Amino acid sequence: MKQLLVFVLFAGMFCWLMFSPVYRHVLVMRQALLQQEVDYLLEIGASGRFGYIDRLMIEESRSRLAAYGFRPGDLEYFVASTTGEPADDPSRPLVRGTGLKLMIRYPYDRLLDIDRLMGIQPPPDSARITASGMKMSEYVPWLE
Amino acid sequence: MAKLVFGVLMAVVWWMLQALQWDGEMALGTLYEVKRAVNRAAHAAAQQADPEKLELGVITVEPVLAEEAAYVYLRDNLRLDAQLQPLPGSVLRDGVKIRHFAVIGDEVSFPYTFRLEELNYEVTFYRPGVVLVVEAAYPRLFGVLAPVEWTVKGAAEMVYA
Repeated sequence: MKQLLVFVLFAGMFCWLMFSPVYRHVLVMRQALLQQEVDYLLEIGASGRFGYIDRLMIEESRSRLAAYGFRPGDLEYFVASTTGEPADDPSRPLVRGTGLKLMIRYPYDRLLDIDRLMGIQPPPDSARITASGMKMSEYVPWLE
Repeated sequence: MAKLVFGVLMAVVWWMLQALQWDGEMALGTLYEVKRAVNRAAHAAAQQADPEKLELGVITVEPVLAEEAAYVYLRDNLRLDAQLQPLPGSVLRDGVKIRHFAVIGDEVSFPYTFRLEELNYEVTFYRPGVVLVVEAAYPRLFGVLAPVEWTVKGAAEMVYA
């Protein structure tokens, strides 16, 4: 009887101890995957051949991330430049010296809800996992 | 009673292992974050061509512009303020320190091997470029890990066809 009582008292904590690392690991992995995608897009987008990150690249990136289990519709992409020019227009690439900024966001998907068992409030629904970066464009226009 | 104490002890050990694991993962994540920022800062610095020498047909890096660009890109990628102290939202808790910044310009002949004896760092340049070494510390969450400090090194060459 006493043991049962102890188990019931600590059930929440046991549950948290067993399962929260799994959820946290998923969170860490998602963050790392988003960051990897940001790095890749910046590497390509800021290279001398492009100088922009356009809609097509973002669509391809969505399908790459979908292969890891992200829901493509929930991924939010923000592309900007340091000078305020549009950075997603293939007809007007950012010239060398201009910074290309990219941010990808994804919802937490209630991964931290298990923390409620320990009385820790999970982040609000509006909170997002974020990965971002800024790289200088290498694109140099040449005269035809 | 003994079982209860054992259970609580096991829970503590289990939790410490989790904390250690999580902190380790985050520490490596932070290291990569700093390395990325250093790489991008070095890359941006290395693209600062000297316009006056360019007119003479010499392609080289302008040191003042390069240092400015390195600061801007390091700060933006790590979310730091002008004193290189973290702003809200930064992964770091303590500021970073620029340990070494070197511009490899047209005063040397390429290929040129840059050596930093004190850090046992060596990089060979085939074009003008920049070396950036930054010191950063990982903000430990639980204190299970020993203090973690890194000297992150990065180098970049100027890109041209």
